Amino acid sequence: MAEIVSNRVNTTSKISNKKQTSNLLLGRFEIGKLLGQGNFAKVYYATNIKTGEEVAIKVIDKEKILKGGLVAHIKREISIMHRVRHPNIVQLFEVMATKSKIYFVMEYVRGGELFNKVSKGRLKEEVARKYFQQLISAVEFCHARGVYHRDIKPENLLVDENGNLKVSDFGLSAVSDQIRQDELFHTFCGTPAYVAPEVLSRRGYDGAKVDIWSCGVVLFVLMAGYLPFNDKNIMAMYRRIYRGDFRCPRWFSPHLSKFLALLLVTNPEARIGIPEIMGNKWFKKGFKQIKFYVEDDRLCNVDDSLLDNEDDVASVVSDNSVSESDSEIESKRRNGPLPRPASLNAFDIISFSKGFDLSGLFEEKGDVVRFVTSVSVSKIMSKLEEIAHLFSFSVRKKDYRVSLEGTRESVKGPLTIAVEIFELTPLLVVVEVKKKGGDIAEYEKFCTTELKPGLQNLMVEEYATSSYSAAPTQPHPLLRVRTVPAHLSSEIGSPHFIPSDTESPHYIPSDNESPHYMPSDSESPHYMPSDNESPHYMPSDSEP
Amino acid sequence: MGCYFSTSKKAKTPGYEEPSVLASETPFTVSEVEALYELYKKLSNSVIQDGLIHKEEFQLALFRNKNKRNLFADRIFDLFDVKRNGVIEFGEFVRSLGTFHPNAALDDKIAFAFRLYDLRQTGYIEREELEEMVLALLNESDLVLSDDMIEAIVDKTFSDADTQGHGRIDQDQWKAFVSKHPSLIKNMTLPYLKDITLAFPSFVLRTELEDS
Repeated sequence: MAEIVSNRVNTTSKISNKKQTSNLLLGRFEIGKLLGQGNFAKVYYATNIKTGEEVAIKVIDKEKILKGGLVAHIKREISIMHRVRHPNIVQLFEVMATKSKIYFVMEYVRGGELFNKVSKGRLKEEVARKYFQQLISAVEFCHARGVYHRDIKPENLLVDENGNLKVSDFGLSAVSDQIRQDELFHTFCGTPAYVAPEVLSRRGYDGAKVDIWSCGVVLFVLMAGYLPFNDKNIMAMYRRIYRGDFRCPRWFSPHLSKFLALLLVTNPEARIGIPEIMGNKWFKKGFKQIKFYVEDDRLCNVDDSLLDNEDDVASVVSDNSVSESDSEIESKRRNGPLPRPASLNAFDIISFSKGFDLSGLFEEKGDVVRFVTSVSVSKIMSKLEEIAHLFSFSVRKKDYRVSLEGTRESVKGPLTIAVEIFELTPLLVVVEVKKKGGDIAEYEKFCTTELKPGLQNLMVEEYATSSYSAAPTQPHPLLRVRTVPAHLSSEIGSPHFIPSDTESPHYIPSDNESPHYMPSDSESPHYMPSDNESPHYMPSDSEP
Repeated sequence: MGCYFSTSKKAKTPGYEEPSVLASETPFTVSEVEALYELYKKLSNSVIQDGLIHKEEFQLALFRNKNKRNLFADRIFDLFDVKRNGVIEFGEFVRSLGTFHPNAALDDKIAFAFRLYDLRQTGYIEREELEEMVLALLNESDLVLSDDMIEAIVDKTFSDADTQGHGRIDQDQWKAFVSKHPSLIKNMTLPYLKDITLAFPSFVLRTELEDS
């Protein structure tokens, strides 16, 4: 079973014997102790009475947010938390509401605030570094999606029972579509001690650079046990922040002091950015980038299996990976570990219909691409790896499922494409390509310009290599092959399709063409797949 | 912290039903039903502004094209349209989508799929219906198969499912066939429905649910 990174603890046994109390929220959650409160909200511990799941419920007073003009903020908070799924970010599970209250049902983080750990004394450098690395991972993830927190401080940083950091409270966060034409935010929010000088000056500011400043202050506090710009007089504190007036205590290592000097630069343009942070010597020590993916609404580690199979581990293929040969795959298949591709029956084929996919009611999705081919599975896999390598995609393979994952982040995350291979007959397979994550336009462009042509070329190559035999090969009797008139196809290198006696070529005319074309005796129609056409089966030498 | 539903009525679409009633009859919570109402309003006013989902609106949502005909989308629309009046009302929309909820009963999903494939509503899936559906799929997709192959696939599937050799698949045979091939009903679960309150959060400001 793929490990679930998200901490959703099942405690059915704990609560099954409890007497039902009147402390039920909307008939579903038993409300427990108060975990914390702010101006607009209180957060309670709760358990789902049906599943036993432990959650934190943020209760927001609707009247206060209406009076404070924060309606848009609340809707934005929901949309942001829906958008950001990351192991170091507190997950929002659902929203409920009554006439006077809004309820956010969130992941319960058992360890409490990071602030509590610091209040007991400063942290060891390795511990502080680990928390800072996790904080930067979360911040980088959000920034790539156009989300800026703008209120990063220890109180908003929680620690789970495994000692992992979780960023919470997106109440004051902002989305990049809130930025004015000058590409800067123009609102003041956040806690003064952690707020960047450009925010205090009420000028426009870059949300990403503001978060980096706050991360710098957090790092200082974790290591020192006190604030870098602290002063009893608030105006004096503001002045110190403006000037960037702080001193590192003697127990800070030279590398850490230099690093903080880069984070707490008063000029946002000169302040270090996320890529530079991640390349910094102090930061990099022991850093392991979290790789994860969302599968069936769960966060899973990237090296977990693609399927829910405990003993099957997906191979994460690097650029220099070596593909298995057909014979290796065949011997594996005979010896057992590698199963055959899932075999399709008529109902499976029917279920491919777009009309059955009701997900279109909820979100815009890229088209699924499918085609039939006789090319061997290993050659298809190798081709996918080759295409992935060209575009710096990482590849995860699991039996007959391949996941191509882009590295370039976008508002909707990196482009992720799932390819699955099914057996139609012992000689033919169906290859299915669909978008799992990322931007639709990017997916469609990648499919049209790279993936489809690459796989089509593979089929043409397969045909070409198998057509040098003495006798011309016959098409597979189980496939209709669309053919193109000779005068329309490329003369050079196009594989020739020779119709058998029993089968006339099924030519599909284009809109502006007469549908009555039939090849003359002297002319063999040439097959070349067009851009918008699925690659068709071409027989190999070894086939009847 | 219990609650009851208010009786004050704001202007609602025709065929509107109370979220508390729909929640009690489906796997959805009251808040999820209210979020679905936000989606319903969007869909039902996309072409004809009458607060009811017409076939063109359903097609527009699924295919981004209101004129694209599809046998399977037509079948789903017909099954959602319980009253057979040519439109999907809010109550029908919620009850039908309830079957697609990840927490819905497996038997309900199996039964819905059976009704979907029983094109002529005879209480059986017949061989001709199966072949017609395969041809419809091939017609809409890029998959190109010969007549011989289609026959072979349909024959093999039918003989596997029709264990009694009656030339038709009844509900019990269908249930047994699905238990052997669970992938057949993977389309009957929509993970999106778990996140519906996050996808359509405007309901939080319009809810009529009272605190007591």
